[in-house]
Amino acid sequence: MIPLERYPKEITLRDDAHVVLRPMIPEDAEGLWNFLRQLPEIDKSHFHEDVERREVVEGWAKSLDYEAALPILAIRGNRVVGSVTLYRNKTGWKQRVGIVRILIAPDHRHLGLGTAMIREIRHLGEKVALNYLLAEVIEEQEAAVRALERMGFGKAVVHRNFVNDRKGHLHNLVVLLHPMSGLEKEIFY
Amino acid sequence: MDATSIDLRRAYHQLERLLDKIAVALETEDLPAARLDLGKAFEALHTAGPGEEGPEVLRYLDHALSYAHRVIGDLLHEKGLPPHSPADFAEWYDAGEVPFREDW
Repeated sequence: MIPLERYPKEITLRDDAHVVLRPMIPEDAEGLWNFLRQLPEIDKSHFHEDVERREVVEGWAKSLDYEAALPILAIRGNRVVGSVTLYRNKTGWKQRVGIVRILIAPDHRHLGLGTAMIREIRHLGEKVALNYLLAEVIEEQEAAVRALERMGFGKAVVHRNFVNDRKGHLHNLVVLLHPMSGLEKEIFY
Repeated sequence: MDATSIDLRRAYHQLERLLDKIAVALETEDLPAARLDLGKAFEALHTAGPGEEGPEVLRYLDHALSYAHRVIGDLLHEKGLPPHSPADFAEWYDAGEVPFREDW
C-alpha cells in the first residue's frame, strides 16, 4: 500500500502563498477539469484522451486507483494549481519503475511549485521502494527539464522528432531517470 | 577570479561544517532521498580533500554544495517552508552571476 498519512500537506511557495498537497478524490473532477483546460497545448500532448471534455476527467475521478496511478493535487484556496501523478505497474518487469507526470498552472510557475511536486513524488517513490522514477518531457519544456535535472534526474535519452502534439507537429522527447536510494545501495554498497 | 589554496581550504571547512549541521537536522527526518544526497555531498567533499588544489577540487566542492542545497530544499519542503533560492543571496556572492536559479 502506498503511504498517504503525510496528506494533506501544506507547503509555502516563493510568493508566500500556501498550497495544500493531497491525493485527488472523486469530488475534484471539476477542479481538475478547470485546471487542465487552462494549460498550454504542449502540456497536454501526452494525454491519450481529450481532456477538454468534462466527461473524460469525470471518468478518471470515478475510477481512481492509487496503486496504479496516484494523482497528487496542489490546491490553492479552492483552485487546483498543479498536479503530479505517479504511475506504477502492479506486476511485470517494470513494477519497480514509476512514471511521473507533472503539470503546473501557467500563473504558478517560477514559484517553486514544480520543484516541490518533484520533491513530493521523489519521496513517494522512495516509500514504495521503486528503483527508478522515469519522466518524459517534450524538449521545449525547458524549465521542467532543468528542474528535474536539479532534483537528481539524469537525461537517459532524447528521441528526435518522436512525439506529435494534437496538431500533428513533431517534437523531441526527453526521457529522464532518477535512481532511487534502494537501488543505489544495492548496486554501489 | 582564481581561488587560492587558502580560499579552497576555507571553503572545504565551511562546507564540512554545513554538511555536519545538515546531518544533525536530517537525523530525525524520514527522508531517504535527502539522506542519499547528503551522502553524495560528503563523498564529493572528501574527494575534494582539505589540502588539495586545482580546478578539480573546485568542481568537487561545487558538487558538494549542490547536493547540500538539495537536502536543504527537502528539509524546507518537509516543514512547509518557502523554498531556498540561492539567487536571493546573490549580493553575497563574488561571482558575476549566480549560476543556479529556481526556474519552475
